[in-house]
Amino acid sequence: MVELSELENDALIEIFNIGVGQAAASMSALVSEEVRMSVPSISFISRADAARLLGSRLAAEAEAPDRICGVSQHYEGAFDTDAILMFPEDKSLELVRLMVGETVSLQELTDMEQEAMCEIGNIILNACIGTLANVFEQELRGSLPEYHVGTSDEILGVSGSEPDSVVLMLHIDFALDKHQILGYVAFVLDISALHDLKEQINRYIARAMGQA
Amino acid sequence: MTDVTPERTKTVLIVDDSRVSRMMARQYILHLQPGWNVVEAGTGEESLDKARAALPDLVLMDVNMPGMGGIAAAEQLRRLAPALPISLLTANVQSATRERAEALGLGFMEKPITEARIAQLLALAGG
Repeated sequence: MVELSELENDALIEIFNIGVGQAAASMSALVSEEVRMSVPSISFISRADAARLLGSRLAAEAEAPDRICGVSQHYEGAFDTDAILMFPEDKSLELVRLMVGETVSLQELTDMEQEAMCEIGNIILNACIGTLANVFEQELRGSLPEYHVGTSDEILGVSGSEPDSVVLMLHIDFALDKHQILGYVAFVLDISALHDLKEQINRYIARAMGQA
Repeated sequence: MTDVTPERTKTVLIVDDSRVSRMMARQYILHLQPGWNVVEAGTGEESLDKARAALPDLVLMDVNMPGMGGIAAAEQLRRLAPALPISLLTANVQSATRERAEALGLGFMEKPITEARIAQLLALAGG
């Protein structure tokens, strides 16, 4: 597995901090409430470990702990990754209600749940990825968002990544004023993509130090 | 007696593959400008047909859509109606997208859609 030096790890956390700030602003505008987000913690782990970790963390929050809804988008460019936003399934309708407001009937709300979750994922993931692309001074081309419901194993498996792929797990705790909603963002990269990401981080560090 | 020509009702064309986004944009537009018309298209291709029929005063264009993307559709609309105000309304906040919009003479507004952002966009059509 590719190792990051202390400086590279620090730079990556700082870049994600900026991305999370952008995502928090987007999320807040989306649900019309103040959103507090934790400082992201980043870990590179195997997909199986990521699924286990995710399952156990969400189990502590959700009423139906084994069911997660996820929105994924594939990005290509400076590095390739599958970005996945995940929430406990029982929070999905609540989020959509916050987004579209009280005027929409429950039937309409249920009908548009998947589509609305895709749009929420699209906005949050692009806020993170867009920040990364801007900081790296590169472009990342994204696919359309896809919606999935399943266990953490199934959700992290849907990205179609290779067995040697690692998950850059970015934990983000979304805390809304009136609603306690826990969400996670994960980036799945294979070894080659991880090398590309490391290269981008080092270019960023060189620019920051005035060496490029 | 002075002839007063009634002002033509303004039309906004919303182009977005997300039904929820179209619904939210429509809701805010009609709240801010109850007398305006709102026309929707779910794809870039559809937006070209709708624009020919509705002759909109403003186009709000998503970028990432199936088939023809928003930027390609905006380029074609620009050829059809060079003076038509077109603004991207997108979750894609990358500098590359903003620069592309600027080079093509398109406005740029990031999602999520809020009433304040829609109000800024309607100002492009005199709203």
